[in-house]
Amino acid sequence: MNLLAHPELLELLAASHALGTLRGGARRRFETLAREQAPVRAAALVWQGRLAGMTELQQPVAPDPAVWTRIRNLIDAEQAQQALERQRDNAAPIAPASTGGWLRSLALWRGAAAAGALVAVLAVGVGLNLREQLINAPAVQYVAVLSDDKAAASMLVTFDPKKKQLVLQRVGSFREGADKSLQLWALPPGGAPRSLGVLDNAPALRLAASESDVRVPALAISLEPKGGVPSAGGPTGPVLFHGPLIEKTL
Amino acid sequence: MPHNPRMTAPSPDAELMALIDRIGHRDEAALRQLYDRTAPRLMGLAMRVVRQREWAEDVLQESFLTIWRVAGDYRASLSPPLAWLGLIVRSRSLDLLRRRTADRAQLTQEFDELMADTFESDTPNPADMADASEQAWALHQCLSQLEGRQREVVSLAYLREMSHSELAEQLKLPLGTVKTWIRRGLEKLRTCMGRFA
Repeated sequence: MNLLAHPELLELLAASHALGTLRGGARRRFETLAREQAPVRAAALVWQGRLAGMTELQQPVAPDPAVWTRIRNLIDAEQAQQALERQRDNAAPIAPASTGGWLRSLALWRGAAAAGALVAVLAVGVGLNLREQLINAPAVQYVAVLSDDKAAASMLVTFDPKKKQLVLQRVGSFREGADKSLQLWALPPGGAPRSLGVLDNAPALRLAASESDVRVPALAISLEPKGGVPSAGGPTGPVLFHGPLIEKTL
Repeated sequence: MPHNPRMTAPSPDAELMALIDRIGHRDEAALRQLYDRTAPRLMGLAMRVVRQREWAEDVLQESFLTIWRVAGDYRASLSPPLAWLGLIVRSRSLDLLRRRTADRAQLTQEFDELMADTFESDTPNPADMADASEQAWALHQCLSQLEGRQREVVSLAYLREMSHSELAEQLKLPLGTVKTWIRRGLEKLRTCMGRFA
């Protein structure tokens, strides 16, 4: 049938197509016609636009304030990753060739997202227990779970603003060799990684830090020669663990 | 012809489009402003599609990350800004529902309850329409001419991408009734929307 000779039918088919209820063979035939005949295509697009208005007509519901915090943390972490990538591209001659592609791998990006989700869960947990914790525990305002490229949690980092202390706990099985050190980096948005200190071999360790040091969206740990490298040069070895730093919202 | 009271007001579209442009240039403050301005409305849309608060909040989070990444492509879409945002949220909501197909049975059980509140709540009051596009305003006028359950069937078909038979099953209506309501609903929309074009 020539649809163009039946404008009302054309409109109804276009409306059913945009609504999604035109299915199967009828849908395929309509789409074929739309590709061949501009007026059919135009009718289909007009109805897609008209029905898209449906998305604007729903009753507003206020989301929990934590949703914005999660969005901001994920975006900050993403930007920090990109900053680190740029930094590492610039420092490429020192970096081992085998680690060059790690930042671009999809697995790692997924890992970062998973770590973000894990931290969000963790932060909520910390929040729920806060009253009990306030009595005898350090005030934890920042928390990060640093993960490896398989998204396995490897290091738990908390910041105690009263003692001006970063506390790192190893939660994975990674142990660096005797001739290597792990070094912790702050990843400020748009800036170069800043060293927060070199870790020794202990299962839990503390680094002095001010709150301004940890006001960054993400942290990373690189594998460096024994004793670490100067901050000015940025990390020289592979980044083993990284993750977003979450400011708790209570 | 219903009078549109917003005709003389400054265009909210222009403000939203300026925000989306700034987000395309990696302006986080603009994303925050867009969030403050649109999150409740988009959350309401996500709730309507996925029906669970935590899921809707996950959808909202994923949607704003999508907006952050694709804002630079907005102008090429030629869509009114709120409709463009709404399509992203609908798409992320449907993604989530597909990932949760195993939980479909649970959704069906909740459906009677859902029908009760959606029949009451699916007509936004004029204040809620403040940022809506002209085309959404027109659709709102035309949908309000449909009888409640008919409007509901048309809305759910679109928002949740449901077929005639899925609607019949979930709404516990005969398939023929669903088909008739949708056909008549679209026929009325065709006549009514034509007057706004």
